Amino acid sequence: MKFFKLLISFVLIFNLNNTYANDNDLNHKIIKNLRCLVCQGQSVYDSDSDFAISLKIVVANKINEGLTEKQIYSYLKKKYGEWILYDPELNKNTYLLWLLPVLLFLIGGVIIFKRFKIKNK
Amino acid sequence: MLSSSIGYYALILGLISSLFLIYFCILNFRDHKYLNTKILSFTFFQFLFVITSFISLIVSFALSDFSNETVFNNSHTTKPIFYKIAGVWGNHEGSLLLWLLVLTLFTLIFLLKTKEQPLKYRILTILFQQIIIIGFFIFIIKTSSPFNYIFPTPKEGLGLNPILQDPILAIHPPILYLGYVGSSIIFSSALAATVLSFINNNWAFHIKKWVLASWIFLTLGILLGSVWAYYELGWGGFWFWDPVENVSLMPWLALTTLLHCILVLQKRSILTSWVIILSISTFTLSMCGTFLVRSGILNSVHTFANDPERGIFILIFLFSLIILSIIIFFFFHKRNESENESFFWLSKETAILMNNWFMMYFLSVVLIGTVYPIFLDVITSEKISVGPPFYHKLIIPFLVPFLIFMAIGPKLRWIKSNFDNKLNLIFVLFFSILISFLIVKNFDVNFLINLTIISGALYLFFITIRDFFIKKNKNNSQKIAHFGFSLLILSIMFNNIFSSEIITNLKVGEILETSNTKITFNEVNQKNEKNYKSIIGSFTIETKNEKTEKFKPELRIYNQPITITSEADIKTTLVSDKFMTINVVQNQDYFNVRYQVKPFMIWIWLSVILISVGGLVSFFKKEYEK
Repeated sequence: MKFFKLLISFVLIFNLNNTYANDNDLNHKIIKNLRCLVCQGQSVYDSDSDFAISLKIVVANKINEGLTEKQIYSYLKKKYGEWILYDPELNKNTYLLWLLPVLLFLIGGVIIFKRFKIKNK
Repeated sequence: MLSSSIGYYALILGLISSLFLIYFCILNFRDHKYLNTKILSFTFFQFLFVITSFISLIVSFALSDFSNETVFNNSHTTKPIFYKIAGVWGNHEGSLLLWLLVLTLFTLIFLLKTKEQPLKYRILTILFQQIIIIGFFIFIIKTSSPFNYIFPTPKEGLGLNPILQDPILAIHPPILYLGYVGSSIIFSSALAATVLSFINNNWAFHIKKWVLASWIFLTLGILLGSVWAYYELGWGGFWFWDPVENVSLMPWLALTTLLHCILVLQKRSILTSWVIILSISTFTLSMCGTFLVRSGILNSVHTFANDPERGIFILIFLFSLIILSIIIFFFFHKRNESENESFFWLSKETAILMNNWFMMYFLSVVLIGTVYPIFLDVITSEKISVGPPFYHKLIIPFLVPFLIFMAIGPKLRWIKSNFDNKLNLIFVLFFSILISFLIVKNFDVNFLINLTIISGALYLFFITIRDFFIKKNKNNSQKIAHFGFSLLILSIMFNNIFSSEIITNLKVGEILETSNTKITFNEVNQKNEKNYKSIIGSFTIETKNEKTEKFKPELRIYNQPITITSEADIKTTLVSDKFMTINVVQNQDYFNVRYQVKPFMIWIWLSVILISVGGLVSFFKKEYEK
C-alpha cells in the first residue's frame, strides 16, 4: 500500500507542475526544427549565435504576421535551402529516406514470421 | 625531440612484430599441437611497443615539446597538466594511437584468457586481429603520424579546443574506444569460429563475456559523451541525433542485438548465421563511425581534420575487411541441420527474435538517417538535414510495442511456453495506462503520443519491479537492465514534458518576474585564470514555493585558441535540475540569460548506469557450461 501512496503523491506532484507549461509552443517547435547554419550540429533553438538570434526574431515576426508553420518553413526553405530544416519533407529526394527503414522492418517481419509455427507438434 | 623519435620507432617495431606474428600464426596453424610461445611473446612485445609509443607521446605533451607537430597543434604551455595529458587523445593522431593501444591490449588479453579454447581457433583469431592491427599501424604511420617534426621549433603551441578541456571529456574517448575495440575481438573471433565451424554453444558461452564487456564500455562511453554535451554545450539537451552521436549509437544497437541473440545460440545452437552477421556488422559499424568522423564528411565538434587521404584509406581498409568477411561467411559457414526447425510462436526464442527485429529497425533508421544526406549530396548535390523530428517520427511509434515485448519476453520459457498469469499481465497494463493518463491528462499537446509511450514504459517498469519480488535471484542482470531501460524512457519523457525555461536578455541590476519565478541579476565579476579569463554572472532566483537560490553561470574566454565557452551553473537534485547559462549579446550591456528547470535529469544518467550495471552483473555471474 505504501507503494501506491507513493505513486499517488507522485501523480499529484506532476499535476502541480503543469502550471509551468509554455505559452509559446509553436515558436519553440519551429526553431527547434531549424538548423543553425553557422553552428556545428545545433538547432536555432539551442544556439546563441548571431545567426540563431536573428532567425529567432524572424520566426517570431512571421508568427505575429499570422503565417502558419508550413508557410514559415517554405519561406525559410526558399531563402536558405532545404539544409535548414531538420525535418525533411517527403518528396522525390526523400522517399527512400522515409520509406526504406519501414520497408526493412516489413521484410524482417516476413523473415521472422515464416519461421514461426502456431501449433506445437 | 627524443621522445618523438622513440615513439615513432616503437610504432615501426610494433608493425614489424605484426608481420612476425602473422608468420608464426600460419606456421602454428599447420602444426597445431601446442601454442607457439613466440605468438604469446610477440603479442606481448607488440603491446609493449605501442604503449611505449603512447607514453612517449604523453611525455611530449607533458613537456610541451613543440617540435612535435601534434603537440604544437593541440597544446599550449599555459594549459593545466591534466589537460596537457588528456589532449593526447583530444586530436586525430593521438586518438588513433589510443585505438591501436587498446587493440593490442585486447589482443593480448584475449590470448591470455582463452586457454581452454581450441588452439586453432585462438591462433586464427589472433591472425584476423593482426590484419586489423596492421591496417591501423599503416594508417597511423602513413597518414596520421603523431610524431611529425616541425623545424624551426615554435615557441608556443596552438592550444586545445577549450570545449574539450573538461574532465568528463578526458575519459570519454578511452571508455568509448574500449567498447569499439572490444567489438574487433568479436569480429575476429566470429570469423575464426566460422572458418573452423566452431559457431556453437561453447563459442557463444565464451564470446558472450567479450560482447558484454564491449557493451558495458560502449554504454558508459555514450553516457559520458551525453553528460558532457548536457553541461558543456550549454543548451541543456543531452541527445541531438547529431551524426557523430549516431555513429556511436549504431554499434551499440548492433551489440545489444547480438547480446540477446547470443543467448539463443548458447541455449539452442541455432541462429548461427545471424550471430555471425551481427558480429561482423558490429565491428564494421564501429569502423564506419571512425571513417565518418575522421574523414571530415560530417560537420561536428568531433571532426578534427579534413583530410581526404585519411578518409580514402579508412574506406579502402573498411571495404577490404567487409569483403574478407563476406568471403569467409559464404565459403565456410555451414548451418546446422537443426536450424531449419521453426520456432513455437510463444517462446523465449521468439521474444528474442522480436527484440532483434525491432533493434534492427532502430538501427536501420539511425543508419539511413545518418548516411542518406551524404549520399544524396554526392548524387544530386542537394543538401538536406535529417534531425530529431525524423528520428522521433520513425522511432516513437515502434517504441511502444517494443517496451511491451520487453516486459513480457523475459517471462517466457525456451522452446515452448505459455502465459502463467495472463490476468495479472493485463491488469498491470490497464493500471499503467491509468497512471499515465493521470500524469498527462492536463497536456493537450501530443496527448495520445505521450500517453501511449508512458503507458508502455510504465508497463515495463511495473512488470520488472514485480519480477524482482516474485522470481528472486533469477536472471537479475536482465531485470536490472530492463528496469533501467524503462526508467530511461520514463525520465526522458517526463523531462521532455515537464521541462520549462525562461530565455531573456538582462543587464546588471535588472529583475525579471514571471508568474512563478523571479530572476534578479545581481552583479558581474571578472577573474583571470591561467589559461582563460572568466566572467561570472551572479543571479538570485526566487520561486513561489521554494527558497531563493543563487546561480553563478560563467563565460570563459580562453586565450589559446581564442574561444568563448559558456559554463552552465547546474543545481542538481533528485527531482529536477536547474540549469542556467549566460551569453553575451553583441555590443550591448545585456546578457542573454537562459534558465531551465529540467525534471528527472539525473534519472536519465542513473538509468543508463543501471542498464550497464545489468551488463556488469551478467559479466561477473558464474555460469557453467553444460
